[in-house]
Amino acid sequence: MPLRPRSWPLVAIAVVVLSLPIVGGYTWLLLSSLSREVHGLLPVGGFHLENWRFLWEGVEGRPSVWVALGNSFLFAALVAALEVFVSSMAAYAISRMRFPGRPLYLGLVLVLHAFPAVSLLIAIFYVLRVLGLFDTLTGVILVKASLDLPLGIWLLKGFFDGLSWEVEMAALVDGASRWGTFWRIGLPLIRPGLLALGTFALLSAWGEFILPYTLIVSSRRWTLALYLQSLIGDFTFVDYGLLAAVGLYYMVPVIALFLLGQRYLLNIYGGGVKG
Amino acid sequence: MKGISITLRGLSKRFGNVWALRPLDLEIRAGEFMAFLGPSGCGKTTTLLLIAGIYRPTTGEIYFGDRRVDLLPPRERDVGMVFQSYALYPHLTVFENIAFPLRLKGMSHSLIQERVASVASLLGITEILSRRPGQISGGQQQRTAIARALVKEPRVLLLDEPLSNLDAQIRLQARSEIRRLHQELGITTILVTHDQAEALAMADRVAVFRDGRLHQVGTAQELYERPADTFVAAFVGHPPMNLLEGAVEDGFFRAGEVVIPVPESWPRGQGVLGVRPEDLKLGEGVPASARVVEPMGREVLVTAELAPGRVVKVLTNPQVQVMPGSAIRVSFPPEKLYLFGQDGRRIAP
Amino acid sequence: MRRASNAGFFLLPASLLILFFFLIPVAATLLLSMTDLSTATFSRPSWVGVGNYLDLLRSRWTGLILRNTAQYVLLVLLFNVGMGLFLAITTSLLPERLGDSIRAVWLVPRITPPVVYILIWQAMLSEAPYGLLSTLTGTSRNWLSGFPWHAVILANGLIGASLGMLIFTSAIHTIPPDLFYAAAIDGATTWQTIRRVVLPLLRWPILFVTAYQTLSLLTSFEYILLLTDGGPGLYTTEVWALSAYHLAFSNYYGNARFGLGAAMAAVLVIIGIVVSVAYLRGFRFRELVQEPRVEVT
Repeated sequence: MPLRPRSWPLVAIAVVVLSLPIVGGYTWLLLSSLSREVHGLLPVGGFHLENWRFLWEGVEGRPSVWVALGNSFLFAALVAALEVFVSSMAAYAISRMRFPGRPLYLGLVLVLHAFPAVSLLIAIFYVLRVLGLFDTLTGVILVKASLDLPLGIWLLKGFFDGLSWEVEMAALVDGASRWGTFWRIGLPLIRPGLLALGTFALLSAWGEFILPYTLIVSSRRWTLALYLQSLIGDFTFVDYGLLAAVGLYYMVPVIALFLLGQRYLLNIYGGGVKG
Repeated sequence: MKGISITLRGLSKRFGNVWALRPLDLEIRAGEFMAFLGPSGCGKTTTLLLIAGIYRPTTGEIYFGDRRVDLLPPRERDVGMVFQSYALYPHLTVFENIAFPLRLKGMSHSLIQERVASVASLLGITEILSRRPGQISGGQQQRTAIARALVKEPRVLLLDEPLSNLDAQIRLQARSEIRRLHQELGITTILVTHDQAEALAMADRVAVFRDGRLHQVGTAQELYERPADTFVAAFVGHPPMNLLEGAVEDGFFRAGEVVIPVPESWPRGQGVLGVRPEDLKLGEGVPASARVVEPMGREVLVTAELAPGRVVKVLTNPQVQVMPGSAIRVSFPPEKLYLFGQDGRRIAP
Repeated sequence: MRRASNAGFFLLPASLLILFFFLIPVAATLLLSMTDLSTATFSRPSWVGVGNYLDLLRSRWTGLILRNTAQYVLLVLLFNVGMGLFLAITTSLLPERLGDSIRAVWLVPRITPPVVYILIWQAMLSEAPYGLLSTLTGTSRNWLSGFPWHAVILANGLIGASLGMLIFTSAIHTIPPDLFYAAAIDGATTWQTIRRVVLPLLRWPILFVTAYQTLSLLTSFEYILLLTDGGPGLYTTEVWALSAYHLAFSNYYGNARFGLGAAMAAVLVIIGIVVSVAYLRGFRFRELVQEPRVEVT
């Protein structure tokens, strides 16, 4: 806004001071992972890479971190792919096709969008057991992708709504089926939306904790979140160095994605009020 | 490529409670160039989209030749269509845009190359094949759209206001190009437009629409000389036909204080008198006062007030000097007069 | 029904997933809440009707849990909206680059995996010589077990504030600059401009964020679980959603009681449905009515 009071440096200082705890926290993470010990924010005893030994030795009683990494990758990638694919198909139908019950379906998606999915965890646990998908990555992938579906459908519907009708008509007259139009014309033209949803889904799935925590039991199916949490919850360890190293290791893709996909993400977070 | 005949029988379209097109019967001959003419919202584009298969009819049938097509999706009807906005695929090159229908058919790459090249040269866009729609001019976009419509050698070509987004200069050029294409290829062509000059210049026959109804179908000459009603009479021809409300009495048409001699054969009663500005002459006849004089190059348009509220426009040549405000006389040649009923339909001649 | 068949194909995957993981669980939550399903009775649960709900009403912990929940929701909400507003307004007063950087910093907690985020909190609040707070204040103690509520509220608040911050910032950006110029000419100070021009125009976004986050806070428990797990001790920071989770999944007492947990969850589910439907009314309904312009299947 075109309002820049002369005292703005004071405002800047105030806000920066308030933001320091956050900066401090992540500085701690970085420093701790690389030092023998960190007292407050001061590294003590010099830098070393010992904390990162979990990469080449196992930590007792646990599967290799690389297994957890692989699970996290698989989980995040499949959730994102599933979400984008399923959401785009449903969004296309809602935005561009006529079918009986369309207003109802749209209303359902809106309601689910606002609904707190996490309260269904207990029932979902039960449903997965019945389906035989409890303690499988497949099960958690399906659940995570489903819970984010209403957001995905709503977001992509908005993008499809913005496409020209005449381009769609042209494709149909040119000889495309509805699926052909969706695949060859619709999807390419909403690439920004697909990227936004994909980035959001990847980030969200990568950090996901409560779903795997509740729905997976076998340690060989642990994602990095569970791996790290097992170290923290284990009171025989107060090795902040190790914990910080694992934590930082876990966070690296998040930082990378955030830097690469910032533009796309703001699409999702920023436009909220207009619904 | 040769064209196929199109028959519309009892065709109508309703959206919710609104009738976009009332039941319509129309025959379009094989290879004919027909124009759908009318103001916006009159149903001409709706009819076009029904023929293309984008809309499904509320009632009625559509036949291409002997084959009933109204239940078929667009891709089974084998039509080519050019949209008002051209609707080019922004993410594909001009080549790929044109090739799109052929790729959908699974044609071999070499065959596609051949066809696209030949259509591109027909439309003079060979040099821009590797560009994207965003990088070419409006005229080139239009020709690309036409190329895409023609590349699959359809038997029907549909054009939805293809010229309205072009600059005036290019528009005349494009007009004759489309006409030339039609003559060379012989495809049944339907052109939708709101510009009557365009329709009359390009088409073999013109169908005039208003408010979802077909008012008249005929050649340019038929519409001009034998308009079916006051709407067609006023819509076709520029400047529009003069229309005066009044009543026919013995050998005269009385509009307020204005009295105009008319043929004896005209039936008595209320009606509307019609006469084209170019058919009126200055000199003898009904007294009037010249309200406005507009020189238009080869002609002069005079607005003549016959009586308060009764005005006719006269198109005359510059030789006849007329001063604004002067008293003049307007002659109404009886053989050029039209009589329309109160419902608008033509009664005489 | 050729007309609908193709649309059905497009909608099938989403419909199946929604059916299995939204609709059925909603029904299942309500149904399970009326059984005595637990680790012991897993293969043959029996119907108890409203028995679980009565147990909840009679339990001596329910009152505390309700108070905790109210306290949690209210205080975090206040922080979220207040801090969100503060951040949005102040960063908008600053030069763009600086404002963007500060907002980016406040977004980091939101995108950090919860486990790592809480790890940082735990480390900061631990005793000397590791904990930053202990080092800075000179008092060595476990600040987390000493002030669990402060920690819970701030930890959740730092994350929640960023949503309001983003929404309010984007709303501020849509204010026509002319309004500011007019206020300046009228002689308004910065504070007056904020109070009389900016804030009134933020009424709807503030309402939206408040409504949205209230529901969200009522049902969230992940960070509390990681930070204090409802403790220290018995139920100090246990909120309703967390309690439902604990009842269903904690084997501390040897018997995880799904039915009872489901009952607690069912209360949240019903509140969730009521509020979500109310949102639906609030949103533009006309959008739902616009029919697509192509009738090809």
